[in-house]
Amino acid sequence: MGRSGASLSPVRVLLRLRHSLRAQLLAWVLVTLVGVIGFNLYFGLVLARTTANLVTDNMLLGSARMIAEAVRVDAGGNAEVDIPPAALEIFDTGHGDRVFYQVTTAWGNLVAGYADLQVPARMHQGEDMVFRNLNVRALMLNHPVVGLPPVEAPNSEGGVADGVTVTVAVTRYGQQAMRTQLWLSDFDDQVLLVLVAGVVTVLGLNRGLAPVLRLRDAVRKRRRDQLEPFDEGIVHTELRPLVQALNDYMNRVQKQMGAQRRFVANAAHQLRTPLTLLSTQASFAARETDPARREEALQALIRSTRQVTRLAEQLLTLTRAEPGSRAPRADRVDMADVARQVLEARVEEALRQGIDIGLDADEAAPVIGDGTMLKEMLVNLVDNALRYTPAPGMVTVVVTPLGNEIVLRVEDSGPGIAEAERIQVFERFYRIIGTQAEGSGLGLAIVKEVVDGAGGRVTLGTSDDGGLKVEVRLPRA
Amino acid sequence: MRLLIVEDNHELADWLAKALTQAHYTVDAAHDGEEAEHFLELADYAAVVLDLSLPKVDGMTLLKRIRRAGSKVPVIILTANASLDGRVAGLDSGADDYLAKPFEMAELEARLRALIRRGHDLASPEIAVADLVLNSATRQFSLKGEVLSLTPREHSVLEYLMLKAGSTVTKAALSESVFGFDAETDPSAIEIYVHRVRKKLEGGAVQIATLRGLGYMLRAA
Repeated sequence: MGRSGASLSPVRVLLRLRHSLRAQLLAWVLVTLVGVIGFNLYFGLVLARTTANLVTDNMLLGSARMIAEAVRVDAGGNAEVDIPPAALEIFDTGHGDRVFYQVTTAWGNLVAGYADLQVPARMHQGEDMVFRNLNVRALMLNHPVVGLPPVEAPNSEGGVADGVTVTVAVTRYGQQAMRTQLWLSDFDDQVLLVLVAGVVTVLGLNRGLAPVLRLRDAVRKRRRDQLEPFDEGIVHTELRPLVQALNDYMNRVQKQMGAQRRFVANAAHQLRTPLTLLSTQASFAARETDPARREEALQALIRSTRQVTRLAEQLLTLTRAEPGSRAPRADRVDMADVARQVLEARVEEALRQGIDIGLDADEAAPVIGDGTMLKEMLVNLVDNALRYTPAPGMVTVVVTPLGNEIVLRVEDSGPGIAEAERIQVFERFYRIIGTQAEGSGLGLAIVKEVVDGAGGRVTLGTSDDGGLKVEVRLPRA
Repeated sequence: MRLLIVEDNHELADWLAKALTQAHYTVDAAHDGEEAEHFLELADYAAVVLDLSLPKVDGMTLLKRIRRAGSKVPVIILTANASLDGRVAGLDSGADDYLAKPFEMAELEARLRALIRRGHDLASPEIAVADLVLNSATRQFSLKGEVLSLTPREHSVLEYLMLKAGSTVTKAALSESVFGFDAETDPSAIEIYVHRVRKKLEGGAVQIATLRGLGYMLRAA
């Protein structure tokens, strides 16, 4: 997963792992297992110690009994003992343990062994103690001996003791070794369990994640123009909604790209006819010998060039009006002002055409938006009106605030647009069949893009003169 | 020689007609499929220049219809769609050639000449009747090896007769071929041009014969 050669700081590795499903699942499985195993090991240790103590105690008891049984009483009533070797050898388990013993009579006479060996507090029970700086476990046994009369023990608390008391102590190496062995045999199993669980988890995860990784590879492998939907079957049922969402998204991107492609193809298409016209007019002028006809062709050529230029400009404007193609702007624009500027620029042309052009805007009409595009929108509306209105005609622009909206109306006395076509005319390059005015079919598409972008709406209707009425409503600033 | 231009952009149709007239063609212009169909029924064209995107009846449909009706008129398709598919579809529908917009007039004219030559089954670009020769590539006439100087109308008359050499040509057909639909068609006007052409052919071994009730015929004298 890591990028080869990239030097990743530990923090970044951790952050990455936090986002890795595999690492997270594995971590949870392992944490749980380690917890359970820790718990097991602790109790295993306690159990091993108890077991080892029990075994040692039994060995001590056996050893003490063998020693006690070897005690003899001589004719003078004195006890003596000949320590049987087996009593000491049972502790020789190869761990170098040392054995200490003490045999005393009930009245306290030392019969054999270490006089200074501490005596456990209780009979027949193992006890941990320190003897000569060694950790030992000791056990005391009272044993009757034939010939030794029972006596009041001088140092006991009124108890009756008879025979001999044998205390055996052994260093704890062998016991510890046994405990460790007992414990470790358990530990091995546990470690094996963790390893098996870990491996199984990783394998399971890999198997489980395989479809997700397949999906990832499938997405990665795609070229940027490959937008066909993915097969939902490549992932688990649970993940299908993800694939569906991905497919949905790609579908939308594909549609958007299709629209773009069509537009570009259309734009190229739309440029071909005017370019052919230019070429034809130029050819005609080039070989025409009659000066008057040549002049006519050249004038037509100039007009056609202007048309192509306008078409190119409009294509550019339309591209700029599309969402996302320009940084959003929030100019405060007075649409009344804009309308005045736009109309003033066209007065000369309108008068020459025999069209009465007028503005009706008494109040300020502020809107917030892209000033350049809003002006471009109005330019297109006025341009359309002038283009399609025959002389003598009338073009009026009305700008008025209405509630929380600014209403902008451009009315003309031209032929208008039939109701059936009032939706399509906003489509790019749509031109009404039979129209011969030199329009590009882009004007209203530009208007719609700009108005949509500014959060307004645009509708078409019939003006009082039976011509077209375009009404634009924009949110008031 | 008479051509039909079918192009919905009036301005372009107009200027194509003007430019082709400059090149000694007689040109009619139709602006939609229906109008074109009507023209094709009425007249006999040497070739049709057909734009594919037309109102009412689109170019492809029109082409299929006229082919189904048995017309063999050479058709050159003009279209703004230069894709291979479009070209193939056009040619499959019965077009003889295909020209993508924008194009140069010189190319359109060259293709028209080639089409017309093919339409008349001419392997070589030269058609000859006795010592009168028409180079269909340059569209120039020569008589006894010398270039014949003709006005555009005279050229049209002689060209039409030349292409139908050996068969009779009615006065009406000749007149329409020279003037087209638009021009004022005084039936006697054609006689003036025929007369002028005859004068220019004097001294050669060809003659334009007048056949009463039938029309004219160009033949070796």
